[in-house]
Order: sequence, then C-alpha cells, then structure tokens
Amino acid sequence: MVAFAAPFVYAASKFLSYQGVLGGNKTATFSAEELTPDSPSKLVEIEGEPVIVVREADNSIRAFTATCTHLGCIVSFRPQLAIGHEVTPGFYCKCHGGKYDVNGINIPGTPPKAPLTELEVVDVADDLTISLLPKTASQ
Amino acid sequence: MSALIDLLHLREPVEALKAKSVPRHRSAFWYYLGGLALFFFCVQIVTGVLLLMYYRPTPEAAHQSVEMIVREVPFGSMIRSVHSWAANALIATVFLHMFSVFFMKTYRSPRAILWVTGIVLLLLMLGFGFTGYLLPWDSTAYFATRIGTEIPRTIPILGDTIASWLRGSKEVTGATLTRLFGLHVAILPLIALGFASVHIAITALLGSGTPRTAEIKGETRFLPDYLFGESILWLIGLAVLLAVAVLFPWNLGPAYDLTKPSEPPAGVHPEWYFMFLYQSLKYVPEWSAVLIYTIVLLFWTAVPWLDRNARRGKRSPVFTWIGILAIAGIATLTTLAYFSVAQEQADARTEQTSVPDTTAPH
Repeated sequence: MVAFAAPFVYAASKFLSYQGVLGGNKTATFSAEELTPDSPSKLVEIEGEPVIVVREADNSIRAFTATCTHLGCIVSFRPQLAIGHEVTPGFYCKCHGGKYDVNGINIPGTPPKAPLTELEVVDVADDLTISLLPKTASQ
Repeated sequence: MSALIDLLHLREPVEALKAKSVPRHRSAFWYYLGGLALFFFCVQIVTGVLLLMYYRPTPEAAHQSVEMIVREVPFGSMIRSVHSWAANALIATVFLHMFSVFFMKTYRSPRAILWVTGIVLLLLMLGFGFTGYLLPWDSTAYFATRIGTEIPRTIPILGDTIASWLRGSKEVTGATLTRLFGLHVAILPLIALGFASVHIAITALLGSGTPRTAEIKGETRFLPDYLFGESILWLIGLAVLLAVAVLFPWNLGPAYDLTKPSEPPAGVHPEWYFMFLYQSLKYVPEWSAVLIYTIVLLFWTAVPWLDRNARRGKRSPVFTWIGILAIAGIATLTTLAYFSVAQEQADARTEQTSVPDTTAPH
C-alpha cells in the first residue's frame, strides 16, 4: 500500500512545491526624479515580491526587500521614526510595530529578528533599474 | 406522500427514523445546535455555489468580480452577505455545540469518535474561514493572509513546506489565491462532507448522549416531533441571517494591487474566531504559540480518553473547570485583541496627522 502510494505522494509534493510567479516583473524601472524630498520612497513589485526604494538624506538611492522579516507584512519608509530616544529615518511595519534602521537592520526590542535585504540599484543617468539581486558587501 | 415513499422504496428508512427518539431532559435544548450547524453548512453550500457562477479567482479579476456580484447581480449583495454571515454563524454554532457536549460530558464512551470527528469538523470550518477570507482580494484580506501563511514557517522541519504549499509562491500572489480557492471550493468541502456524514451516521446509530445526572423526563420522537422543533430553529436561523445580511451587508474593502505594493491598513486583524491566536502571538514567539496550541488541541481531542471519571459514569469536576478555563482564556484573549486593534487604529490616526508616511500612493 505504502509502496503504491509513495510515488504519487512524492509527485504531488513536488507539484505543490513549485514556486514560479506567473507574469511577475523581473526588474522595476523608473526615474530617480520620482523620489523627491517630500516623497522619498516608493514601493515596487519585482517577481511578485514587494521592494522599497528610498532616496536618503545624502541623495543616495537604496532598495530593500519590503517584506517584514517578522510575519511577512509590508514595511514602509518613515523619515522620522522613533527608535529608542532618537527620531531618525527608518522602516516601519504597521502590522506588529516592527522597526528597522535606515540600513534595514532590525531594531532589537521590536518583533523582527532579521534585517531587510538590501538590493542592487543600477542608476544610469537617473534611470533606476532594480532586481532581486542582493547588493554585495563590496559595493 | 405515502405513495411517493413507497415508489422510492423509502418505507424502511422512514420507519427506522420513526422508531428513533431523543431523550428529554433539562439540557436537551443543546442537542439542536448540531442540527443548526448542519443547516448553516447547507446554507454555505447553496450560497457558495451561487457565488461561484460569477467569482473569478485571479488577482486581476477577483475583487472586480465580487464588486460586480455586490453591485450589479440581482440579489448578489444579499447572497454574498448571507454567505459571509452564515460562515460566522456556523463557526459560532460549532463552538457552542462543542462546549455543550464538553460540559454535558457526552463525549464519554461510546461517543469518543463523535467528539473526534466533531473536532476535525471544527478545524475544517476554521479552514473554510481562513481560505475564504482572501478570496475577495481586498487589502485587509491580503495582509491577513500574508501573516496567516507566514505562521506555519515556524513549525520545525515541515514549516517551510507547508507555507510554500499554501502560498504556491514566495509571497502571497495569484498562485496563493488559486490554491486557497481550490481548497475552499473543492478540497475542504469534500473532506468536510465525508466527516459530516460519518458524524451524522454515528449520531443516528448511537443516539444522543445524556448528561450523567440528567433527570430523563421521557423521549421525543425524532420523526416528526424533534425534526419539527429543529426545523423551527432552522427557519429562525434563516430569518436572522437574511435580516442581518440585508441590514448589515458584508463589507468589501479596497482592492489590493500586486503590481503597486502598499503598506497594510492600520489594525490588520483576522476574523473574530482567530483573534485569540492572533493575540497569543504578541506574548510568545510564533514557534512556541504553534507548539502550545498543538499540545492544547491534542489534549482537547483526547478528552474522552483522559476523563476517566466521566468514562466510568462518575463526576469529573476537573474537566468542567478545564472547560471554564478554556472559555475564559479564549474570551480574555479575544477581548484584549480587539482592544489592541482599536488602539493600533487610534495610533495610526494620530501618526497620520504627525508623522509623514512617504510610502503613500504615488
């Protein structure tokens, strides 16, 4: 009985484990001008995953995975986020109050136990291209 | 009628039903809850099949199709509202039915299998609630499902596999919608029909259990007296459902657009029957909440075997207190959860006026 069922269970489990996304964007492309001092962040979708792109105070543009590492909600950027006694820019998750600093590092004492992943941003004459490629440490 | 019964060769089953009876005592009213749950389940099947005629399970069309059902299709708003309210009524009735059986201790031998199939049916009803919640593809449902499908990841070894089977992709996407839809309209109904049939068949076979100390005042004939009482309750249930559906149409939030991710609305929370679980996650890490509730569920399922006194027909006050504690725990956690959601919504309103949210739609 088990020998008979095993191949079917194996095939069904492989079938169900497929993770492909139908019709997702491989990259997000938009102009850096969309990120202004009044509106310094933008949420985009890449391969079904939400990504947050931020223009920081020094004008550099950075992208992070926007999925909260606590329970999978979507984080947003706050130019003024209360972290301990300080108010600094950072990321905030509305679902359970998770906080991350401007480098995507989770703030101890808030629910997330892991940082957001920083992604590669290609900036060619203010045209931004972002993929799910993690930013390498050397860059 | 008699000729029709003969034509369909139903004489013997009808006579068998006529020979059946239900014991009459002070707590006999609670017997009706099982039948009421069955009635709400039938309402779900009928309204669910009707909704299927227009609903389209894709992220692009799901919300639009529900909007069409609500705004354009004749009686669409009523049918959708009845489906949503009846889902809540069904779960509430199943909970009440379970606790009435628990306090009457009618789970004791030989009805242990009824208790176990009943627990499975309750879990299946909760499964219907969870899988149906995402189907309108509105913002709150989307985020509640993101959280709900993330929690299984905390289960050791199998967690990631369970989460990926539920989602069908890394994130909650169209693949998740298709899977939850398949579960909601095909897989869960098939399993639920199977378990409900076994549950009903065993009830018919063994008859209704009585509390140990019940003073039996006689018997009510199942056909037609008990069934007549039950159908009055069904009619009241249907009338209340229709009134509530018309007076308080079920809300449909704004659609969620996968291509334009946005942050969650303030105070995202699941349906009331998951609120105690949701609140528990605030006090203990996810993995321990999963572990604790698994142990509680196994204990609860094994009650007919653990409650030896009830099995021997003796008093078992310990289990009565366990039941009271369970209700108090669920009620306290649920109340705290609603207070916390109200607080989060108030905080969000304050925050909106003081701190700019730069991720607002562009």
